[in-house]
Amino acid sequence: MSVPADDQPTLRGISLYRSFSDGGRTRNVIDDVTFDLHRGQITLLMGPSGSGKSTLLAILSGLLAPDRGQVLARENGHPVDVWRLSPREREQFRLRNCGFIFQGYNLFPALTSRQQLEIVLRWGDGVGGRDARRRADEMLALLGLKGKENKKPSQLSGGEKQRVAIGRALIKRPRFCFADEPTSALDWGSGQVVIDLLQRAAHEYESTIIVVSHDQRLLEHVDVSYQLDDGRLTESDLPADRGLEPWRTGS
Amino acid sequence: MNYSLATLWHERPRFLPGIGAVAFSAVLIALQCGLLLGLFKITSLPVDHTSADVWVGSPEVNSVDLGRPIQLSFLSRVAGDPRVDEVEPYYQAFASWIKPDGGSELCIVIGSNLENGSMGALKELTPEMREALTEPNAIVIDSGERGRLGVNGVGDYAEINKVRVRIVGETKGLKSLAGPYVFCSRPTARLLLRNMTPRDTTTYYLVRCHHPEDAKALAEDLNNEFHDRHDMTAMTSDEFSFHSRKHWLLKTKAGIALGYTALLGLLVGAVVTSQTLYAATTASAKEYAILLAMGIPRRKVTTTVIVQSLWVGLFGIVLAYPTVHGLAELGKLFGVVIPLPWQILTVAAAVTMVMSMLAGLVALRSVRQIEPMNLLR
Repeated sequence: MSVPADDQPTLRGISLYRSFSDGGRTRNVIDDVTFDLHRGQITLLMGPSGSGKSTLLAILSGLLAPDRGQVLARENGHPVDVWRLSPREREQFRLRNCGFIFQGYNLFPALTSRQQLEIVLRWGDGVGGRDARRRADEMLALLGLKGKENKKPSQLSGGEKQRVAIGRALIKRPRFCFADEPTSALDWGSGQVVIDLLQRAAHEYESTIIVVSHDQRLLEHVDVSYQLDDGRLTESDLPADRGLEPWRTGS
Repeated sequence: MNYSLATLWHERPRFLPGIGAVAFSAVLIALQCGLLLGLFKITSLPVDHTSADVWVGSPEVNSVDLGRPIQLSFLSRVAGDPRVDEVEPYYQAFASWIKPDGGSELCIVIGSNLENGSMGALKELTPEMREALTEPNAIVIDSGERGRLGVNGVGDYAEINKVRVRIVGETKGLKSLAGPYVFCSRPTARLLLRNMTPRDTTTYYLVRCHHPEDAKALAEDLNNEFHDRHDMTAMTSDEFSFHSRKHWLLKTKAGIALGYTALLGLLVGAVVTSQTLYAATTASAKEYAILLAMGIPRRKVTTTVIVQSLWVGLFGIVLAYPTVHGLAELGKLFGVVIPLPWQILTVAAAVTMVMSMLAGLVALRSVRQIEPMNLLR
């Protein structure tokens, strides 16, 4: 099965600006950024520390309001202006559409792998206990964590923990998945597993995935790459001999 | 499956101070109430351990130990009522006890009829003691009061209001709050209390009704009938017992002391519990932040903290229950009776449970501080 990149962008950032006060000085962290993200694609956002990558991710994901500009997300074919929604509506928008992966796994130390995933379904969508358990187990199996359902984070390796964190982000099949440095704490073997899982998510769930990272090795595995320097965005070239493009073959 | 409980169990060391604080509060409240109840049961002991249905005493008498003399002629007011079966005088007053070694102590002399079936003789006075008390100037004391009275027991002599008395028996478990009880016959009491209780007076009339259920109506009727004379009060035994305890509770400010101690216990419990929950929530702030980022409503996290506070409260109370009973048993070894009726245990549990939940509400500020954006910095 293959999912071609849709012509219509699913997430658009239009003329985004964001500044922060820094010791009495105002610094433009995001400076007139416009770009499009597409369904079924992984977009990589690179840049040095302090270049505004995480800020841009926060603006796009509805966590941090821009000073100016628009974020348009397509939901069921209709564009939604994320920053014109009320806070409550935005929270519900994120509930329906967004998954997050962060560098720190941020798993509840007391809960098992299964419970980490179940909690999202049960608290977020009010899914019943039995159904949530089944879906959590299916997702864990998909992540290669069969047999680890009852393990707590302290009993898992770093790579396994990150896979659980990915499972938590993907369990509700989000339209948009935002990943902040998902591989930087992992060895490259585990990092490859992570990026492979993200590719499968883009492929199978037709998710729009944006990855913020300064990990150059990811370039080979993404569809689009942008470079952010001092708040300004430029599209960067991808290596010619990129290895992984599974969902494009046959399109 | 309960995520709150799972967290509580996994992070036991973190939650233990909170559970301990709740247990501390519950134990403190239950023991304080029990101690006070035990203490004030002593004040109504002469009422509770005699068998009258109605007590007739001086006007507005608030406590059994505060009765002033009333006229013996009031007998006709009471005995004439068809509901009344029997009436007998009963003497009770403070007196000066001179120890054999010369020291002095305040005691409470109680003089009553001693024959079988008499209302005023306390249940603890055995037939042998009653027989012995018929001798002039014979008295019975409680064995627990030997130290206060400076005597060694039966056979010893002492002085009450300058009259030489002889101890002919000892009861057990009739310790008093204000002064040791001294039991004697009516004639002996008349002699010992001659200065406080003039001729032709008594401290109380004890009344037995043909039907005990008539007691309340009889007392009310007597009060109404002689209301204008302002010279006597009638109360059922239950009312008089309650008034005696209440009087001591309020007048001695012991109730206020109890309130303050309980409040202090609650405050300590609330602060520790609140801090425990606050720290636990803050420790999981990043995990909660991810859920908030994913659009899960903040109230879910709020509910978790409140549920955690309820678990902390419940575990605290479970811990407190055996502790309270253990301490009460320990108290018995030292002669301190701590009654723990279910009402006290229920109130202590309910108050600490509410405290725990309020502590949870205070700790909610930690939830308000959770900001998903912080994960991206």
